[in-house]
Amino acid sequence: MTCDELRPEYEAFALGSAGEPERSDIAEHLGRDCPACTEGVAAALSTVAAMASFAKPANPPRALRRRVIAMIDPSAARSRFAVWLPWAVALTLAIAMASIIVPARRESAVGSRLAEAFTILNDPAAKDVAFGEPAKPARGRIFLSPRRGIVLIAANLPSIPSGRTFQMWVIPQSGAPIPAGTFRAGAQGSVVYVRSGPVPPAAAAVAVTIEPAGGSPQPTTTPFIVSRL
Amino acid sequence: MILPALLLALELTGHNDEDLARRLQNREPRAMAELYDRFGRLAYSVTLAIVRDPAATEDLVQETFLRAWSRIRAFDAARGALGAWIIAIARNRAIDYLRSMQKRIEANSLGFDPADHPRLFNDTERNLLNAEHARLLQSALAGLSENQRRVIELAYYEGLSQTEMAEKLGQPLGTIKTWTRTALQQLRAALTAGATA
Ligand SMILES: [Zn+2]
Repeated sequence: MTCDELRPEYEAFALGSAGEPERSDIAEHLGRDCPACTEGVAAALSTVAAMASFAKPANPPRALRRRVIAMIDPSAARSRFAVWLPWAVALTLAIAMASIIVPARRESAVGSRLAEAFTILNDPAAKDVAFGEPAKPARGRIFLSPRRGIVLIAANLPSIPSGRTFQMWVIPQSGAPIPAGTFRAGAQGSVVYVRSGPVPPAAAAVAVTIEPAGGSPQPTTTPFIVSRL
Repeated sequence: MILPALLLALELTGHNDEDLARRLQNREPRAMAELYDRFGRLAYSVTLAIVRDPAATEDLVQETFLRAWSRIRAFDAARGALGAWIIAIARNRAIDYLRSMQKRIEANSLGFDPADHPRLFNDTERNLLNAEHARLLQSALAGLSENQRRVIELAYYEGLSQTEMAEKLGQPLGTIKTWTRTALQQLRAALTAGATA
């Protein structure tokens, strides 16, 4: 479509309500820096941005500030709180790892756990295994560095009653599963769980089960994540 | 549903954008704290108004700031409007989330991620976002017809597409398009009249 034909759709585009084919066409014009569409959409976007002043003011919890800052500066987080990240954040972190600054000073629980996660993710020897299928709710990735540990990044974990916990297992080529720690998930069932330290040799898979609080010496339920390495 | 909140608009004023954007581009961790202190409450308020779930809102705001951090290099520090950009990213994430939760439209259906287009949020618009203009906007809103107000609220807070609005309101698509366009143009006219006054 031409810029003239697209012009009446700039406002809907900026609001996110434009339909096809206009939406894709405008995106295409913006992608090639079309001056007319860029100017028109920028004007509409700034009007939509100003509409933020209509939103009822709400105060974010203080912990959110720490979470935001800890994403890029683990040393800045002072209090102890679980490190869990929304799925998309976790994935972005994993992808953008190279650009993340991990200061030498690591003071807090959060800081050190994030730093551990980065160490494992940055290990060139780390194995990276995706799990989950579109039809199954839980999905994510496991990064396993034989020398440094395991990072589990997961989303859509099932909700569990109080008194239960998630437990990770390393499953060797032969023999019984080896407990690899318990963890809880955050909102939307997302978690970044870090298990630091050398991984038992000959690990064939990593699994997650739901267990009574405190964890079990051996799995008591069927794993809902099994990730073959 | 739309409520006046002039104080929030103060947080959008862009006088220090250039310096802050440059420090973000230089990967100064303290700049992230400052970015959050300036726009965190606004991003949270807008996101909460859309998804109405505090836990999800926290996740989405966290994601918003990480997106901004990872894309800031493309931001035009000299001319860009940081607040408008952050809010656009926050709203984009919130609408995507809402749509995927309701399984209405496939995720990422906005077809446009403001995080990837920081240059669309530029200088000429920077000064529109202050308390004075929030007042102008508020009175312009009061001057809209019921139908005009309805469509921009359905789009802004509920993420309805124009096709969905046509269905919901029992109106032809062309009528919805006209209401949307003229409503936003009237708001914009109030803002720009204020900017040049
Ligand atoms: Zn064009």
